[in-house]
Amino acid sequence: MEVREILDVFRAADPAALKEKYLAEGRKIVLTAPVYTPEEIIHSMGLVPMGVWGADVLLKRSKRYFPAFICSVVQSIVELGMRGTYDGASAIVIPSLCDSLKVVGQNWKYAVPGIPFIPMTYPQNRASEAGRAFTKAGYLRVIRDLEAATGAKFSAQALADSIKIYNEHNALMRRFGREAGKYLSAADRSAVFKSAFFMPKEEHAALVKKLLAALEGEKPLSGPSVVTTGILADSPAILAKLDELGLRIAADDVAAESRQYRTDAPETGDPLDALAAKFAGMGCCSVLLDPEKRRADLIVDSVRETGASGVLALQTEFCDPEEFDYVIIKKACAAAGIPLLAVEVDRQMANFGQAETMLEAFSERLG
Amino acid sequence: MEVRKGSSQDPNSAKYKLNQIAAKAYSDAQAAKERGEKVGWCASNFPVELPETLGIPVCYPENQAAGIAARGQGEKLCSIAEDEGYSNDICAYARISLAYAKIKDEPAQNMPMPDFMLCCNNICSCMTKWYENLSKELDIPLIMIDIPFNPDNEVSRDEIEYVKAQFLEAVRQLEEITGKKWSDERFREVMANSCRTSRAWLEATALAAARPSPFNGFDLLNHMAVMVTARGKPEAAEAMELLAREYRENIENGTSTFRAEEKYRIMFEGIACWPWLRVTSTGLKSRGINMVSTIYADAFGFIYDDFDGMIEAYCKVPNAINLETARDKRVRLCNNIGVDGLLVHTNRSCKLWSGFMPEMSRQIGEACGIPVVSFDGDQADPRNFSEAQYDTRVQGLTEIMASRKAGE
Repeated sequence: MEVREILDVFRAADPAALKEKYLAEGRKIVLTAPVYTPEEIIHSMGLVPMGVWGADVLLKRSKRYFPAFICSVVQSIVELGMRGTYDGASAIVIPSLCDSLKVVGQNWKYAVPGIPFIPMTYPQNRASEAGRAFTKAGYLRVIRDLEAATGAKFSAQALADSIKIYNEHNALMRRFGREAGKYLSAADRSAVFKSAFFMPKEEHAALVKKLLAALEGEKPLSGPSVVTTGILADSPAILAKLDELGLRIAADDVAAESRQYRTDAPETGDPLDALAAKFAGMGCCSVLLDPEKRRADLIVDSVRETGASGVLALQTEFCDPEEFDYVIIKKACAAAGIPLLAVEVDRQMANFGQAETMLEAFSERLG
Repeated sequence: MEVRKGSSQDPNSAKYKLNQIAAKAYSDAQAAKERGEKVGWCASNFPVELPETLGIPVCYPENQAAGIAARGQGEKLCSIAEDEGYSNDICAYARISLAYAKIKDEPAQNMPMPDFMLCCNNICSCMTKWYENLSKELDIPLIMIDIPFNPDNEVSRDEIEYVKAQFLEAVRQLEEITGKKWSDERFREVMANSCRTSRAWLEATALAAARPSPFNGFDLLNHMAVMVTARGKPEAAEAMELLAREYRENIENGTSTFRAEEKYRIMFEGIACWPWLRVTSTGLKSRGINMVSTIYADAFGFIYDDFDGMIEAYCKVPNAINLETARDKRVRLCNNIGVDGLLVHTNRSCKLWSGFMPEMSRQIGEACGIPVVSFDGDQADPRNFSEAQYDTRVQGLTEIMASRKAGE
């Protein structure tokens, strides 16, 4: 397959159509909310995990539940739930890693009563023995709730098998994250990351493998590149502007993109302990305790390793975990002499004029 | 000049003593710093029993931010933080505190700079980020007790075990930083003081059930500072017991610190609008509305028998519990105290407190058969409050309460 043909498959991964397809096949769907859910567990039980990160929709019904200053990512998840977009799903797993995710779980019970809410409670002191034990207890609770909501059964062996599949996918996505900026537009890069939330992992991995092989024969793009950081980087208008300006994405520190794939679970020992060890090993993220703010170092290192010209911070409006980190990232970039642009994004955004102007000026600065 | 008995100038009054204790928390920390002792900045719902047992002086940034906001300096400090790059979406307490860490001097409420941070995120995840940034910016250790939001009705054994391990680790870290040593005997004293203070607080706040209430609910916002900063000290217990005695005397004498006819009684939901305290208070008092209940009455009722019981108490603070448990606590308060309405502060600073409040307050209103009205405000940034909107909303609530009373 040619690069274009492969990309067409990623771009065609429409969540609504895929949902209908899975349901028609008699499969059960479990929705997974940001930022981290134990997808491996859901996969191992023969259920289909589908990521829900909201959508660019007008918020109407969700306003009954949320004040205006809760981020539109979580508000639009509830809006879509109330509209029936997720009908047919057997459950939703929502981790409580930020205050807005805590409240979305509570509101969900009343706003979308037809789809059971399964909480995943993670520890912040996650690397200690007590932290790992608490993570494991959280997973066991998710398993109990999934069994009750779907009738599916958990098996440790099946989880061990799923962990291998996810680790392989992680490795491919890490490679893709490094290679994509050399050959692909920002929009194409985004389509590959986004489709991973809807397509079965095995299929997605096979297709990414094909894409990486096909890219080897491609001519690298030229021009300046940036490292992106934030929760989401899927706004079609922003991506189109980056492509119009010829700004490539050399690497990302985006929650819905590379942050998902940085850490593998060990493939030895008890698989639930292995998953808890994976969570213990995660970091450099706004919703995971990071007192030394290693995230800022990771971004600076990423710029240096990839030869990127600057950092583009896509700030989700009302996302305070990201807003706190931004100041430290800004200082780290300034100390390292790295140009930084912050653009506020919002799922409710209709007018991109100001963002586009800022991107144009930034692009000129990066030359 | 004659000093009215029970007034804040009467040195034998609870109010005077409580104000003194709150002020002493700052001066003690400052004196300790000057002696060369290590001082911490501490989250309001961190288990104060730990530093108190170890004899480690701490200050409370939330309390400081509220004080700065109440004295009219909130906007100034919020703007300093915004100039650093902090979004105005971020909690105003955090913005004020981050600004103070930069300027290190604000006459509205100074406190010594910290040698370490004591964070507990049982009230919100925002605490974690705020203290992370302070720890990074000031290059000092962060002692983190993580108490996750509990989606269930009961605190699980798994949670107790996780939190207990962190309490013990926090003690170890504090011993290492300060060179001070934990004593079980001292802990038992602190625990006894903390429970005694809490019992007196719960008793005093419950006396609002009398009609008229023996106190103006806004008094509690003032006295709460002692519950935050000094609940493990014997003088706090004594002053709270005195407060309860004074309120009982008020009931016997038919008097009250609410100096108007108590026509209506409401529950107030949310943190106070500190920059607009007088406006929000007058808006109620002028209509004969007394705020007889707030969740603060419950929030600082830390009563337990042993170390595990203390852990469980900290796992059950108001913002760490699910909607149903939070609702039931409020329904109980409303029913026990007897209220005619619920006034909800939709607090721009607090995503967690306000994020499921629309649904929860609807359910409280239905369960108690009372009207519910909300207004937009902020705990410390004066720019997020409109006096006109507040007035209209409170007037609306008053009219509903009046028509219901007329129909009774």
